[in-house]
Amino acid sequence: MPRLTFERELASLREALVRMGTLVESQIEAALDALRRRDGSAAEKVRNEDQYLNELFRQMREQVFMVISTQQPVARDLRYLMGLQWIATELERMGDYAVRIARMTGTLVALPDRPLRAEFGLMGELAIGQVHDILEALIDQNEPRAREVAARDNEIDRLYHRVFEDLVKEMGNGHVDTDGALRSVTLLLVAHNLERISDRVTNVAEDIVFLHSGQVVELG
Amino acid sequence: MADVQAWTTPSAGPGRPELRAVPGAGAPKLKVDSLSFYYGKFKALDGVTFDIPEKRITAIIGPSGCGKSTLLRVFNRMYDLVPNSRAVGAVELDGENILSTRKLLELRQRVGMVFQRPSPFPMSIRDNISFAPRLLGWKNDRIRAAVEDSLERAALLDEVKDRLDDPATSLSGGQQQRLAIARCIAVSPEVILMDEPCSALDPIATLKIEDLMATLTRDFTIVIVTHNMQQAARVSDFTAFMLMNPDGRFGELIEFAPTADLFNQPQDQRTEAYITGRFG
Repeated sequence: MPRLTFERELASLREALVRMGTLVESQIEAALDALRRRDGSAAEKVRNEDQYLNELFRQMREQVFMVISTQQPVARDLRYLMGLQWIATELERMGDYAVRIARMTGTLVALPDRPLRAEFGLMGELAIGQVHDILEALIDQNEPRAREVAARDNEIDRLYHRVFEDLVKEMGNGHVDTDGALRSVTLLLVAHNLERISDRVTNVAEDIVFLHSGQVVELG
Repeated sequence: MADVQAWTTPSAGPGRPELRAVPGAGAPKLKVDSLSFYYGKFKALDGVTFDIPEKRITAIIGPSGCGKSTLLRVFNRMYDLVPNSRAVGAVELDGENILSTRKLLELRQRVGMVFQRPSPFPMSIRDNISFAPRLLGWKNDRIRAAVEDSLERAALLDEVKDRLDDPATSLSGGQQQRLAIARCIAVSPEVILMDEPCSALDPIATLKIEDLMATLTRDFTIVIVTHNMQQAARVSDFTAFMLMNPDGRFGELIEFAPTADLFNQPQDQRTEAYITGRFG
């Protein structure tokens, strides 16, 4: 197979992206687990781990740039590199959402304990499932699967709007003190960040379509 | 005459008529129809069919031996110099089949050629350019104007205007190649054929020629054969990819498309393999 150096670079980038994906998935899981268990130190750990993700992302960006400038890829090769770079950006952002959820857990831990709404468990499971499956679609280079995963975005959106309405109603009922308001706003932000993770999954699905067909599409 | 007829009438060969028209191409200047070419019994080209758009740059790329230079040489009947060579099919220049024309001098005035090596004539810069106009019997005033105008259009005038009587061989390689272009456009051709015009030049001289090509499309249709795929991607509007058929050992046209499409989303796997460097 000609272009051995180039193929080696591509393989190493693919590997780095999968590493980023795996790390993001476990970060989101850990953030939601800390939220459920009201575990401040576990949340703190998520915030610290994010630096590895950022470093992986930085290295990938450098490597993609280096490969483009030295190997002058075209057609499928160029698409692949651009696609990898875009997906890495999405993963890095998802990592940031995990960090934000962890920060909010820090806020919630300091407030009186009250049971979490069921929607949070559902949204968390859906988000983690989407992230996991989109990474599989990426590794298997499975475009139809990517489209299917992106389509699941609707359910998270629906849950988010329900949480939003309920929390706003709760804040408006006249019986909420400052702690209660802070708790409602914080939970709203948690829900918002979960919904954003799902949006980023849709973006990754669009990038996977681009990777394979060169078509820029709008999913979800 | 019967034989000539058989050679120049388009065969019902395979060809790729679907490649003929490409989106955004505008009016065709050269229409290549089921063109096959033979050196004696050896078939060098088979069933090439596509249209070369007017006042655009069309690049022909492909590995060595795929027939791209042969194809270029058909466009001004240079092959007439090769014994036993013949072209079958049709190549129309503004509707006239150049394969059967007897007006070769006129054809070569309308379709000029720039070669890989600049090859200046061993005479002054001025005489290099006035050589062909003199052969055509132009008057002195017209020749003088043509020398200045073509040097200007070849982006060389500023560099040589004070030494037009110096030997052309005193110019640098890049200047000599621009002189060759000036020499070509002095007789007001309609089509300029370029066969690897930059392969003997350094990157800066190459970029000058590439810039020049872009300005020349105001007046001329350019067809360039190049080994340098980045160059084809940079300068051309349309690209034709040719390949040698592994069974028949003849060259054929694989894909013809707007350059951006061919380099971003080639339709044929062989094109993809070639431009991404995974050929062979």
